[in-house]
Amino acid sequence: MAKPISGKGNKDEDQSKFDDISARLNDLSSRIAAEKGQKAQAEKQSPSYQGASDYSKGYRLASEFVAGVLVGALVGYGLDYVFHTLPLFLIIFLLAGFGAGIVNMSRAGNRTPPTPEELAKMPKPADDEDEDK
Amino acid sequence: MVNDPIHQFRIHNILGPWNIFGHEIGFTNSNLFMLIIVAFTVLFLLWSAAPKALVPGRVQSVGELWYNLVHNMVENVLGHDGAKFFPLVFTLFSFVLVANMLGMMPYFFTVTSQVIVTASLAVFVVALVVIIGIYKHGLGWFKLFVPSGVPIAILPFISLIEIISFLSRPISLGLRLFGNMLAGHIVLKVFAGFVVSLLAVGGATMLGALAPLAMAVALTALEFLVAFLQAFVFAILTCVYLNDALHTHH
Repeated sequence: MAKPISGKGNKDEDQSKFDDISARLNDLSSRIAAEKGQKAQAEKQSPSYQGASDYSKGYRLASEFVAGVLVGALVGYGLDYVFHTLPLFLIIFLLAGFGAGIVNMSRAGNRTPPTPEELAKMPKPADDEDEDK
Repeated sequence: MVNDPIHQFRIHNILGPWNIFGHEIGFTNSNLFMLIIVAFTVLFLLWSAAPKALVPGRVQSVGELWYNLVHNMVENVLGHDGAKFFPLVFTLFSFVLVANMLGMMPYFFTVTSQVIVTASLAVFVVALVVIIGIYKHGLGWFKLFVPSGVPIAILPFISLIEIISFLSRPISLGLRLFGNMLAGHIVLKVFAGFVVSLLAVGGATMLGALAPLAMAVALTALEFLVAFLQAFVFAILTCVYLNDALHTHH
């Protein structure tokens, strides 16, 4: 194929090359932007570490409550066993354990894991590490 | 009995028992599976880390995912100064996760379905929390049990509740893992047992076996989810409790 001789033809070729490159550049930058947007969205959507499912959350609350009552009963029965006063401490500590179970549950329910902003605000123990969040 | 759903949890000696200082101690199937869990974890992580590729392959991806999951958890809950607890949390998470997952394999013993194992782990974690709390804050750490701003009249009662609430931590931590694994395996076994019994009747009732079979398949999937979730919850609660010990609020 013969080369175009005229200057005009050359210019045309340059122009088309330039257009091609700038089109590819635009395409690339738009693809990068799209990728970034996707990434940001994915980061926003992914539950960072919070206990994944409601099933585990419900089971957790139940076990917190049961544990409180159980410990109260055990401690009360143990004290009674030592002091030979059978129903007295069992009753007191069973009720206290009931209260502790409720406290546990309300704490577990309210304890949403701290967000990074909250973490940054948290009082840190004496430490020379810099917070970069 | 073939369909006994409890049979899978029975502990028996593989070697021994030997008489050690007046105690009968043998090498049980539980011990064997603990060794298998540790060996599996170590070998798998070594295998996954072996290629050291910049662009990870399949196995290396799993290893990195595993590592990053725990790393992000520790970083998020404990902050930067919590990095020194990463090895502990990673070890606990890996042990519980692999124990739960291997327990899902047929004929495998589930170590975490024994309350003594999960309770030991939980008591260890809470004991560590107490030691770290006293080490970091001195005796002032016990102010945890005496909340500020409470009228003196009901303070003893509140303290009692706070103490019981604290004591219930190892119980709830250990009991949850144990309960989930035990209950899950029993339910699976019971539904599988229904399939066997219905098939044994023969005739048209054999079609009825399809329902518990479908249930058993669905439950298997659920149990895999629970196996992972419970390991995750155990690790995250370890982090939360350690965080309480490190940053005590008064």
